[in-house]
Amino acid sequence: MTTSPFLTPSPPLPPVSQPPLIHLTGVTKTLKGQDEPRTILAGVDLTVNPGDSVAILGRSGSGKSTLLSLIGLFDRPDGGQYLLGERDITKIPERKAAALRSAEFGFVFQRFFLLKHLTAAQNVAMALVNGQGWLPRRKRKAKVMAALERVGIGHLAKHKPPRLSGGEQQRVAIARALVREPRILLADEPTGALDTDTGNLVVEVLRETTDLGCGLVLVTHDHDHAAKMGRVLHLSDGLLRPTGQRVVA
Amino acid sequence: MRLSGRLRASLIIGGQGIRARKLRTFLSMVSLFLGVLAVVVVQAGAEIANRAMLADVELEQGIDGTRQMYLSPEGQTVPVALEVLEGRTDAVAMAGTRAIIGEPGVMPINKGGGPIDQPGYGGPSMRCDESGCYPVNTGDAGAPQGQAVELNLVGLTGDIRQFRPFRASQGQWLDFGGEPSLAPRLVLNEHAAKAFTRYHVPAEMRVDGATANPTPQIIGVVDDGGYQPAAYVRIDELMNWMPVTSVGDSNSGPGLQVLMTPNAAEVEHTLRARLIAAGIPGDRIHVNTVETLKAMSRELALIRWIFLGMAALVLLIGVAGILNVGLATVGERIEEFALRRAVGTPRLLLAGIVLAETLLTGLLTAALAIGAGVVGLKLALMLFGSRFPSLEGVAFPWQAGVAGVIAGLAAGILGGLVPALRAARIPISTVMRA
Ligand SMILES: Nc1ncnc2c1ncn2[C@@H]1O[C@H](COP(=O)(O)OP(=O)(O)OP(=O)(O)O)[C@@H](O)[C@H]1O
Ligand SMILES: [Mg+2]
Repeated sequence: MTTSPFLTPSPPLPPVSQPPLIHLTGVTKTLKGQDEPRTILAGVDLTVNPGDSVAILGRSGSGKSTLLSLIGLFDRPDGGQYLLGERDITKIPERKAAALRSAEFGFVFQRFFLLKHLTAAQNVAMALVNGQGWLPRRKRKAKVMAALERVGIGHLAKHKPPRLSGGEQQRVAIARALVREPRILLADEPTGALDTDTGNLVVEVLRETTDLGCGLVLVTHDHDHAAKMGRVLHLSDGLLRPTGQRVVA
Repeated sequence: MRLSGRLRASLIIGGQGIRARKLRTFLSMVSLFLGVLAVVVVQAGAEIANRAMLADVELEQGIDGTRQMYLSPEGQTVPVALEVLEGRTDAVAMAGTRAIIGEPGVMPINKGGGPIDQPGYGGPSMRCDESGCYPVNTGDAGAPQGQAVELNLVGLTGDIRQFRPFRASQGQWLDFGGEPSLAPRLVLNEHAAKAFTRYHVPAEMRVDGATANPTPQIIGVVDDGGYQPAAYVRIDELMNWMPVTSVGDSNSGPGLQVLMTPNAAEVEHTLRARLIAAGIPGDRIHVNTVETLKAMSRELALIRWIFLGMAALVLLIGVAGILNVGLATVGERIEEFALRRAVGTPRLLLAGIVLAETLLTGLLTAALAIGAGVVGLKLALMLFGSRFPSLEGVAFPWQAGVAGVIAGLAAGILGGLVPALRAARIPISTVMRA
């Protein structure tokens, strides 16, 4: 292990019966820069337990999105180890990664990425109609409605995105992330395109998901939003460090 | 189960994609339509031509490989040939002669022996010699037109269906075993049969060169591929009524024609030797091998490939259109595809969806082009059908439909493959950098 002695020890291990949702140790990532390769992540350690909410702060360009893309299996790390539960998925092949993205992870981005020719319900159903298992229409509909209700916009199911406000659109996106009942929710600046009040509402919706045991990793620039998470970490120089601003939710 | 889930997912996603871009799909189809239509038309035309030209060629010309010998009925030719061929099955001689069946003393409804639906087609019988051709006095000039049919009566020494596969349509074929009947048994072709049923022709037969008018028994009908009324008869039954010297008399037919199987070389040899011995000069005995079907098929196939090649060029332009639209569409949908991959859609499925969309476009176009082909053929038959009797009852050939579907699918694959590969290569992290 390349764990640096400066790092505070990992958070207390959960009971043996319940392994952490994800456990990253010494994860590195180098990306091809303009001239020479740039090391973006230089040995990141991160553990997320069920019900945890983690905020990640950091300068623009510090590698927050890169880290999230490794956690969410968009990409694979160059080094280190990544455990999902007890399963080593550091070098998981793309075909299996796609299945895990579908089953284990939910994603929310700064932009909402709703398809404008589909209704809110169809946009949510997109995560169910992804070739990973098949649900009959009725079950699909029930799940979609439950997800929309959960973020408080069940009444907008038939609306198309152009007729929804930014906050409503982001909540449709959150419903899309939740509809498969993921174990980990990854949000990359989900409030970046929203005004303060709407942003607060969206963060509250996200945080509530952890009440039912979901793990949440929230990348944000907003310290107030970060403060609502159980743990706040700071990414700089390719390393993830606690900020000490520990606020228990 | 898993596969069908993927299939259903791709149908839903593909359907949404097409519905969201109806105009684009329509434009792709427009660009592809002419190409697929060209393939359909060429294939349909080639099949119809094949059918019209090749269907009866074996009936009329003999199957490929048959050896044919033509003998002009001079001197002892006919008696010698009939003697050599008697009882043989691997070599059969046929001799045509003009006959009129029907009421005595009347002019046949189809004077000249032409098709009964086209009166005057045959014209008067002609006799040709060194000094030129002139009408034959058939003895019925000035007689009233009545219920009689003129036809080509073909005397056979054996079963010729091994050389010309006549299609049976009614009754029986000639029985070459047993004693010849005094009432000649006739098998009509369909044109003759039509004339008989239409005009209620009573059966008495006047045969050129015959010494008396026998009463024939009609025992069956065949399709011999010909366009004129004809009847087939055992040559020995015919010869009960006419001297051997009249058989194959050149004023009514091409003389004696001998058909032989490819391995009847020994008969051919004997026949030639006997004819030469009887004083027929060797250079008057012409033998050739039938290859009509092969030659015609080769020519038609060549023509078909040339036209298909041209159609393929038109199709290629359509493929370029589909490809262009497909690439533009994928460029527009980068975020959608990245997002779909983020929520777990396998890249293979994404590629499959893009490909399925263009394939569907190709298939829809093929359906339209085939429909246009069917309608076009119906119209053409309505407008020109009466002028080309061989086109009568032509249906749209299924091969043209298959060719259209293949062309549509091929265009879909060609035009969709590159966009599909591009779609599969879109990195998921696009959704974070956008
Ligand atoms: N595909 C890539 N190839 C090379 N370098 C990249 C690539 N993607 C991102 N980078 C670089 O990696 C660094 C980290 O990018 P990343 O998007 O993770 O930062 P971030 O912390 O999310 O920033 P922001 O807060 O602005 O979203 C940046 O300097 C960026 O230029
Ligand atoms: Mg970022």
